Parts: sequence; structure tokens; C-alpha cells
Amino acid sequence: MSFESVLAQARAEGRTLLNEVEAKSLLKEAGVPVANTTLATTREEAQAQADAAGYPVVLKVVSPDIAHKSDVGGVKLNLKDRDAVGAAYDEIVANSKKAVANARINGVAVQHMAPQGTEVIVGMTTDPQFGPVMMFGLGGIMVEVLKDVSFRLVPLEDKDADQMIDEIKGRPVLAGVRGQPPADVAALKQAILKVSQFVEAHPEVQELDLNPVFAYPDGALAVDARIVISAS
Amino acid sequence: MPVPGHKLDRMFNPEVVAVVGDKGPNYMWLQNNMPFKEKGGRLYSVQLDEKEIPGIEALGIQNFKSMADIPEPIDYALVAVPRQVSPYVLKDLIANKANGAGFFTSGFAETGEELGVQLQDKLTEMAREANFNLVGPNCMGLYLPKSGVRFNADAPVADDGRIGFLSQSGTHGIMFSLVSAANGLHVSRCASFGNAIILDVSDYLEYLMLDDETEIIGMYVEGVKNGRRFFDTLREACKRKPVIVWKGGQTEAGARATMSHTGSLAAPQAVWDGMMRQCGAITTNNLDETIDTMKLLLNAKPPAGTGMALLAQTGGQSVSITDAFAKAGLRVPRFSDDTYSQLGEFFNIVGGSYQNPLDMAGTIQGSMDTLDRILRIIDADPNIDAMAMELSAMFAARQWKKVQDSLDKTIDTLAAHIERSKKPFLVILHPAHEAEYVESIAPKFHAKGIPLYQSFERAAAAYARVLAYRSL
Repeated sequence: MSFESVLAQARAEGRTLLNEVEAKSLLKEAGVPVANTTLATTREEAQAQADAAGYPVVLKVVSPDIAHKSDVGGVKLNLKDRDAVGAAYDEIVANSKKAVANARINGVAVQHMAPQGTEVIVGMTTDPQFGPVMMFGLGGIMVEVLKDVSFRLVPLEDKDADQMIDEIKGRPVLAGVRGQPPADVAALKQAILKVSQFVEAHPEVQELDLNPVFAYPDGALAVDARIVISAS
Repeated sequence: MPVPGHKLDRMFNPEVVAVVGDKGPNYMWLQNNMPFKEKGGRLYSVQLDEKEIPGIEALGIQNFKSMADIPEPIDYALVAVPRQVSPYVLKDLIANKANGAGFFTSGFAETGEELGVQLQDKLTEMAREANFNLVGPNCMGLYLPKSGVRFNADAPVADDGRIGFLSQSGTHGIMFSLVSAANGLHVSRCASFGNAIILDVSDYLEYLMLDDETEIIGMYVEGVKNGRRFFDTLREACKRKPVIVWKGGQTEAGARATMSHTGSLAAPQAVWDGMMRQCGAITTNNLDETIDTMKLLLNAKPPAGTGMALLAQTGGQSVSITDAFAKAGLRVPRFSDDTYSQLGEFFNIVGGSYQNPLDMAGTIQGSMDTLDRILRIIDADPNIDAMAMELSAMFAARQWKKVQDSLDKTIDTLAAHIERSKKPFLVILHPAHEAEYVESIAPKFHAKGIPLYQSFERAAAAYARVLAYRSL
């Protein structure tokens, strides 16, 4: 999938929100570490893709009409074998159709369920005064309640990514607390810089969330991604 | 000309100034600019109201009923006419080939009413077409202390200004000019730029960054017209000299439509904060912090680290000064063994202490030789990056008033230390019960370039800010 074809497809369908499979494939191409995610349109496809991804897997509905996937029963976690995947596929499709009448369902996204890491968020938004702006923060409660996030204007230099990571109040968490190993800050920095390059190359991108990104002692992985493009 | 060829150079270094539409009985704008005339500048008035003219001529200022009659191009004009007249004045200024003009006139888009918006659009269109340097409208215009061009009668005329200041607000522009002067700091060039319909903060910032007479830049800004241009200009300016940004309107609600989590978290102030750090600017929250920081930038050696030597006059104040500096993220390390052994030779530990913080009044007992000895020993300590010293109005004011020269000798001892030392040195003099007296002696400290603070907290915050800037 090239950026141009995804953009054309979304605009033809009147969408400004790319679906998860589209967003992740574009980011992966841009060198951002994202969880490999494929689109299954049948039960059997979902099972084959789950075999290829490796168990346990996660299934999520892909529909332009469903914004909050978990709320409609459109997400199934920690599926450990083919039978569980088959049943989950049927259930997700049924739940989604029941929750949103006439919902267009593109299929179900299949991905290996990544092991838990330290949750961070990497994002981008378009500021009315300054244009594209990158954001970094710790995930979960730190971002929800404390708004412990940092911003820099695109394009970022190396030092900007360093400072974004270093200036959040929760920075010691990344260094490892209570015997936890330190997170791979260099990998986070690379992810931030790659996203900055991606949005700089594609001014059509208006907003972007990698939430969460799991930071591991060795590497980092975005397990969910959302991209909003301009309407025209 | 400090920045030859720059589009604002004539306006910022005027030889010909015109005041348009000033009125009696006070003739505020002409009075403000009398120093310009006294310094040999050509100051003209434009006023067609017959009953105002005698008063203008009584000031010794040549009045013209029409700007077209002024025999030479104006470098800077201050326009104080009713808003309906302002387009006609602008037309005349353009015909005169004036370099720039500050429009004190208000009642434009800031009112939100239709006529005001229309008139502002008209001015914008005319000035843009003629490429005219319009300052404002709805502003106080320029303050050029060296030229004698002023926006306030109390603002000093001074040749030694080192600070460029820009203000979106007229009040903050004036207040900065007056309060910085009261702290012994002078402005090189200042612009209050109001509605910024043509020249925006980036235009002025570009000039100040290129101007050799401007060593540091400060600004009060609430918002900018072109964010990307401001970002680029600020980043460039910060590479050349320290820039302090006092951002107003920090608490505005940032609600706007967004589809992402990132968008919902990107409050305008949070984005500003990130942008300012990215540029390498020093950020402040109010006038006092701005001036406190400038004082250190201009009057102290560059800080190199967090290790503070704290010198207090009593035990209680030793604790308080330590709390203040520690809360600002600074360290109060142990002195080196060498320092201890040298201080131990003469320090009075009864009612005193030569640990860091130093509790020293009982040892000094008014002896400047002893003070000097202590300063020299601590200055040489490798664990120490900077020194902050308390002077106590509570204990010393009586002595300073009573004993001729005792204050001057203290100041001389401190000034000599500052001159000699390679490390930053800050003095804290709380007004205590002697506010009026302390205010009266502060200029003595300013005259010697001693960075003087009214509280431990303000001194600590200024040091931490400048250190963070120098560590970038």
C-alpha cells in the first residue's frame, strides 16, 4: 500500500480516518516499529493469519462506522488457538452488526498479541498557530490524568527527540523503577524521529496517535495506530 | 546605523520624527519626545486644528497643517488621530516616504465592532500595498532611549541600553521600561506593537537579533500571526543572543475539535512551551521573573553548574536560603577539605557555622577584610559553581545609616569580588522593615553591576533559569 493509494481510497470513500490496517502499514513502511497487522475478511483467513502471526493473537473489527471498537464488543484479546480465533471472528462480526445497524465492515484486523511493555504515547497533531506538532508522553494514567506530555514542532532534530523524552515528569519510570529493567530510550527516540519524518513528508496527515507504544528493554513496538488525514 | 539596509533601520534610528494629531493641554506625545529634539533630532508636529497650534509652537516645535509640507522624509511618526482619520494620515505618510509609524490610535478590530474592523482592513490594505512599516495600531509605538524617542514621560533617556524589548501590550511595554530602569537595566530599543496588522513580533525580533547594541532580548507576547515564521525567527535569534519570552494568556481554554488523543492534549500553552524550548528561549511567567533573569544574564558571569555556596547572616536564614535554592533544583554541596581548613583558622563557630550554608555575621562583625577573606576562600573551592549571599536589612540597616561609608565599603568589597571571580555571584537583600531605605540604596548596587534580589526564591529561580539556558 503506498501512501498515495491509501489517501485516494480514503478520500474516495469520504473518510478522514484511516483504518488501523492502513495506518499501520504506512507507518511500517516509514520505518516506525508497529505490530504487524493484517486484514481478514473471512473466518478462515483470520485463522490462517493467526497461525502466521503466532499465538496469542488479538482480533479487532475494522469498520468506518465504528469508532469505539471495544464498546461494541469488537475487540477480542489473548486468543490462544485456531478455534478461539474462529469463534472470536464470528462474534466480532455479529456484535458489530448488532451494535451499529448497517455498519460497513471491512473485516477483522489480526495481530500477534505483543507482550506488555512500559506504555508510552507518541503522537502528532496540527496546531492552528504552528502547524504539525509532535507529542510524547507516558501512557495510561500519566497521560490521562496528569497530562504529562511534551511537544515539539515538526521537523524534529535529534536533540528535540531527546529533550521530549527527558522533560516529562515521569522520566524516571523509563529508567526502570522497582527493579524493572530500563526501557530502550534510543528506540523510542528513533520512533519519534521516524514519525516526524513521516508527517513532514505527508502534509495530508492532520493527526496521528501511536497509543500505546510498548517500550521494552530492547526495542519498542506500537500496538495501536490511528491516522487522520485532511478532507481534501 | 546598527543594521544597515534593514527595512526598519531608519525607524529604529530616527533623525526625523513627526507627531501627528497631538493635543493640549498636555501635548503628551510631543512632551514624551522632547529629549529627541534636545539631542538634535528634527521633531515636527502635524496638526490642523487652529486652536492647538499655539500650544505646540509654544513648545518650540514646528507645526505643519499638512504633512505634505514637511520638507524631508520622516523616519518615524507617532500617530494619535481619531480612527476615522487614520487612513488619510497613512496616505500622507506613504506620500512622504516615511520609513515607519506607530499608530497610538485605537478602536480597530480589537473592539470587535464593524467600523473598527473595516478601518483596520483599510489600513492593512494600504500599508501592505505600499510596503509601509506600520507599528500597531492600538499600541504605544517605539521607545528608543538613545534617540530620545519615548512612549512615556518617565522612561529614561539612556545611551547604555543593552536590552531589546518587544510587547504586544502597551502597558507591559511601558512597565518593563520603567521597572527595568528602576533595577539599573536600560533598554536599547523597545516596540509596543498592539494589533500587529503589518509588522508582527517576528519583524521586530529579526531587527533586534541583528542589532549589535542589543545584547539580550525580552518579549511579552500573547499570540503571533504566523507561527512558523515566529518559530524560525526565534530559533535563529536564540542562536545569536539570549531571548526571554514572557508568554501571556497561558491559561486560555484550549478546546477545539479534534479526533485524536494527541490533539486533545495539545493545549496552546503546552505547544508554546515545547516550541520555546525547541528554539532555546528562556521562558518566564511575569515581569519580575523577566527582569530577575535579565539581571543575571547581564551582570553575572555565566553559570557553569548547580553547586551553590550560600552565605547567610544568621542560622535561621541559612536554613531558608538553602530551602529556596534546593527547591529550585540546585545543590548545596560540602566545601572541599581545603576550604574547611582555611575557614577553620578564623571562623567563629559560636553562633556561627562554616558548613555550607555559611552562617557568618558573627564572624564578619562588620569587618570588610574578613568578608573579603571568606569570599576569596570560597571562590577557590572546586565544589562551588556559584555564590549567593544574603545581606540583612534587619541587622545592617541601622549600621549602614549610622556609620558613614559602611554601606559603600560593603558594596565595594562585593563589586571587587564580582570583578575578580569567574563564578556568578548574587546578592539577596530582603526589604524587611526598611522597605523605603532599601529601595533608596538599591541604585548603589545597580550602579556597580551587582545582581540584587529581594528574596531567596527570586534569586534561586533566576539562577536556575540562566543555568538551564547555558546548559542547552
